[in-house]
Amino acid sequence: MLCPLLAAGAASSADLNEAWLAIANSHPKDALRKLDESDPARAVQLARAVALMAQQSATDDNVRAAEKIFVELATGNDEPADEAAYLQARLYQLHYVQPDYAKAAELYQALAQRHPRSHWAQLGLVKLALLKLYVVPDTTAAGSDRLAPAEALLAQISDPLLQRDLNLQIGQAGVALKQPLARFLPHLVAADRVGGITATAREDLIVQIGVLSMRAGDWAQAKKYFERYLVEFPNNVRAYDVKLNLDDAIRHLAKRAGS
Amino acid sequence: MKKSRAPKLGIGLLVLGYAFALYWVFTRSTPVVSSRPITIRIAHWQIEKGPPDGIDAIIKRYEELNPRVKVEQVLVPESVYRQWVRSNLTGGTGSDLIEYGVWLDGLTDIPARYFEPITDEMMRPNPYNRGTKLEHVAWVNTFTDGLALQRLNAPDPGQFYAVTLTELSERLFCNRDLLRTITGSDRTPHTFAELRVLFRQVAAYAARTGRPVHAMAGARDNASWLMQFLLQGAMMESSQRNDRYGVLAVYAWDELGLYLDGRWSYRSPEARAGLTLMREVSLSMKPGFVQSTRDAATQEFLRGDAVFIFAGTWDGTSIRSQATFPIDVLRFPQPTKDDPVMGPYFYGRFADGGGGTAMEFYLNKQSPHPKEAIDFMHFMTSVEGNQLFTDHSGWLPSVREVRVPPSIAAYLTPLDCYTFGAEYMTLGSSVNSAVLRNFYLLAGSQGSVDQFVDAMEAEMPEAVRTDLRKEVSNRAIIVRPQDVAIMAKAALSRRAPQDASLLLARERLESSQTQSEALMLQMGRQLERAGPAK
Repeated sequence: MLCPLLAAGAASSADLNEAWLAIANSHPKDALRKLDESDPARAVQLARAVALMAQQSATDDNVRAAEKIFVELATGNDEPADEAAYLQARLYQLHYVQPDYAKAAELYQALAQRHPRSHWAQLGLVKLALLKLYVVPDTTAAGSDRLAPAEALLAQISDPLLQRDLNLQIGQAGVALKQPLARFLPHLVAADRVGGITATAREDLIVQIGVLSMRAGDWAQAKKYFERYLVEFPNNVRAYDVKLNLDDAIRHLAKRAGS
Repeated sequence: MKKSRAPKLGIGLLVLGYAFALYWVFTRSTPVVSSRPITIRIAHWQIEKGPPDGIDAIIKRYEELNPRVKVEQVLVPESVYRQWVRSNLTGGTGSDLIEYGVWLDGLTDIPARYFEPITDEMMRPNPYNRGTKLEHVAWVNTFTDGLALQRLNAPDPGQFYAVTLTELSERLFCNRDLLRTITGSDRTPHTFAELRVLFRQVAAYAARTGRPVHAMAGARDNASWLMQFLLQGAMMESSQRNDRYGVLAVYAWDELGLYLDGRWSYRSPEARAGLTLMREVSLSMKPGFVQSTRDAATQEFLRGDAVFIFAGTWDGTSIRSQATFPIDVLRFPQPTKDDPVMGPYFYGRFADGGGGTAMEFYLNKQSPHPKEAIDFMHFMTSVEGNQLFTDHSGWLPSVREVRVPPSIAAYLTPLDCYTFGAEYMTLGSSVNSAVLRNFYLLAGSQGSVDQFVDAMEAEMPEAVRTDLRKEVSNRAIIVRPQDVAIMAKAALSRRAPQDASLLLARERLESSQTQSEALMLQMGRQLERAGPAK
């Protein structure tokens, strides 16, 4: 069974691995050299399309060539199909010179309806939620609940890490969109509870929950997060300000206990 | 007979000279081909006295520990650094490790395009800290500030990109002899009010004696650092009020958006207070200082023509090693609550240098030896490596557990002041250019706060929009290729499920991409709501 495929120039497993390594190391041309354009294997076609996306200079022609392959692959019923569908949406959101957010949203939605449990569909829901928060909102009427559409999508996501990431962004959007503090602070706390956020975002989140808790009058939660910050980042430049805020939270708690 | 001897003599000398040159090239000069199989290069602009010696000491020790690797220090003058970085990175000839600073005009796209994140490495201990107190501490937490400033400026908020070599601060360096000559005492000022008194004393002394001496050494660079410092202090309450995200910091992209929302401007009373203080200081500098660079201010101070120079500790070694008089190093005297100018906006002591670490080195994506480059980054920011840097440069360390020599203890900034990171000048290259271009309107006898503010507010609407658009496009440069990287990691992870690091890398990348993308969309929304500049 293997011989006809090899005779037809099919990529071996090793070739495909090397192609993906080349793509991961930002050498898409090397990847394209290893993969035969006429090889019908879906995994090969997907790798080719991703390599086309990665080419410099990034032009709409390269993107269109990649999209053509994605459209064909997306009609299948396997992981390459879901990856292709997801990437097709990404092309419209990020890779075409002129983004088409409405089209991207439509594609994310379609993928989620077809294979709601697929990782790519769920990641697509995270991206869709961001679009709904900022660029293709369901409504912009004054006083409308701008977070609800993203929260509805959150409810469809089962992957805890993706839930975390969307919770974090709903929280940040709550600030940017001037939503009531009580609506979005719980999202930030939920994101923190999952853990695993790295770099700046993690340190910021701990301070943020502390400060926003103060603003919400939740002194106990504020105290908890400020204390945590001072344990984890005792020498960081914000420590001085965090300490003053902690003292403030403690004072408020004492006052409440005394009254 | 004499005629025929001369040509023979000439030829003889030529042959001798050639033989000597051959001997020198092959025995005494740097080998044409290195005897070590790997060479990595580290490039920076800190060619003032101190850092090159510090890095040389690191290199010497590193090469002893790693005989396979040769490290070359590439010193590039500051005046051409920007062009050098861009042309070399574009041409694929950039050094393996490159110093970069977010204030470098016209280079804000460089990190996203050319620098590789080192987040995974940052989450693990530095192997060169074995046997020290930091042996089991994640690399990021071995820095005195946890890389706080680098985080503020990272192109991708979910990633780490750089290591730092030193902690920076800004200080007032004082010519003690000259101070005593003018005031009769070597007591340095402790508040801005006392500094004002000193300004008057120096002016009176100059008028009385005819000696051309000023209180502050003046140059555009030193003055702009001071202005940034004073503005940050004056705007502290405004920064706190505008901290809508509650992170006790204001990122540059947020400040730009806040400007478009009308939440701050140079017209605000607190900004005007900061600018008024700066104008007061500028009147104590020599006329025309705006045309000078920091070298001129340093020379003015070293000649004994100025009592003080406000400088970064990055100039400390140069200044102190060349001075022929004793120097006192002090924190800039800050305004107090009863200050007639800044009192109404007084919030508290503000950071003079922020205690943040700097001299950031980034890993070039095109480095042919990334493993070795990262290994060198590890060593130079280990306790041993960073101690060598401090001991040989006279600069503060960036790493905890490194001993600070008593001679530079005054550079340390204790955690006794607010640091909000809010810059009201270096928000982006367009805003920064506008400030420097209009600075002359603030300074000197013909200048005024009104003139500066009017000029800035005329330029800011367009400058802010330009810089915010650059922030969006810089993030797009990072985010777009992440789709490809995520797919590649997913494919490789499926093919090697036993390698958990691939799955972790994919998950982290997805997470940081979502953060950056959300930021792009927020900023895009902000620009759309603000509309074009009127």
